[in-house]
Amino acid sequence: MNNNIDFNELWASQKTAKPNKAALMAELNKYKKTNLTKMIALNLVLVATALFVVYILWSNQAKLLTTKIGAVLIVLAIVIFVIANNKLIVGFKNISGAESNKAYLENLLAVKSKQLFMQTTVMNLYFILLPIGMVLCMYEYVRKMTLPGAIFAYTAFALWIAFNWFYLRPRQIKKQRNLLDGMIHKFQLINDQLIVD
Amino acid sequence: MSFDEIYNTYWQKIFRLCMGYVNDFDWAQDITQETFLIVWQQLPKFRNEANISTWIFRIASNNCLRQIEKAKRIPKTALPYDVREETIESIEPKLKLLYQFIAELQETDRIIISLELENIKQAEIAAIVGLSEANIRVKIHRIKEKLTIKFKENEQ
Repeated sequence: MNNNIDFNELWASQKTAKPNKAALMAELNKYKKTNLTKMIALNLVLVATALFVVYILWSNQAKLLTTKIGAVLIVLAIVIFVIANNKLIVGFKNISGAESNKAYLENLLAVKSKQLFMQTTVMNLYFILLPIGMVLCMYEYVRKMTLPGAIFAYTAFALWIAFNWFYLRPRQIKKQRNLLDGMIHKFQLINDQLIVD
Repeated sequence: MSFDEIYNTYWQKIFRLCMGYVNDFDWAQDITQETFLIVWQQLPKFRNEANISTWIFRIASNNCLRQIEKAKRIPKTALPYDVREETIESIEPKLKLLYQFIAELQETDRIIISLELENIKQAEIAAIVGLSEANIRVKIHRIKEKLTIKFKENEQ
C-alpha cells in the first residue's frame, strides 16, 4: 500500500441496494398511520377521563362533596401526567433536525435538561394529587363502615401511600433521571468535540 | 426537487454517511430509512433557504448523533448467522478496515470525514456541522493523518 491511500475511491466503492420505492413508501405510510393511532389513543384517554369526572360529579352514587373533589384531583393527576408527556413530544417537534450539528446538539441538550426538570416535577405532583384525591374519594364509603373496618381501610391506604411515596416515587424518578443524565452526559461529550481548541 | 429525485440521488450517499458513523450494515440501513422518513415529512416545509444537499446531510448527520438514545440495538448475534456472514464477506477487506478505523474516531470526526470522503465541499461541511471552514480544514487534515497512520500500522 503506498503513502497516498485513495480514501475517496475506497469510500465510493461501498454500494447498497436501494430498497424499492414501493416498499419504502409502504414503510412511510405505515409510520404515518401508527403516529395517527397514537394521537387518537392519547385523545381517547383524555376524553375518557373527562367523561369519568362528569360521571362522578353528576351520578347519584357520590353524595358528598369530598368524593367529587377527590375524583377531580385523581383525574387532574392523570391529565397532568398525560399532558406533560405530550408536551415533551411537542418540545422535540420544535427541533427540526435540519439545523447544523452544533445547533442541533445544543437544542437537544436544552430539551433534555428541560425534560429532566419536567419529569421530576410532574412525577412529584402526580404522587401528591393522586393519594389526596383517593383519600377524599374513600371518605364517603369508609364512613359507612364499622370503626375497626374504617381503621383497617385507612391503615391499608396509609401503607399504600407510604409505599408509593417512599419506594415507587424515588425509584421512578431515579430511573428516569439516570436515563436522562446518561444521555445528557453523552450529548455533552459530543458537543464538546465541536468546541474549537 | 421531488422526493423521488432526492431518493434516487441521495440514498447511497446517506447510507455511506450512516455506515461511516455506526459501522454496522443493518443499523446504517435503519438510520438511512429514518432519515428519508424525516426528509419526506419535512420536504413540504423546505423553502430553499439552504442548499438542499446541506439540508439533507444535516438531517442525516443529526439523526446519526441522535442514535445515542437508541442504546438498545438488537445485538448482531440475534440475526440469523448466515445473513451476517454474507454481508460481512461482501465488503471488501480494505473498505472494512476503513470503516473500522473511522469507527474508532470521535463521533463528530466520523461525520466530518464521511462527508469529506463523499466529496462534499469543505464550505458545505462547515455549514452542515456548524464550524468555520478553517476549523473543518484543520480537522479533516488531522483525521486523514490519523487514518493513514492506522492503515500503515495495520500493514506491518
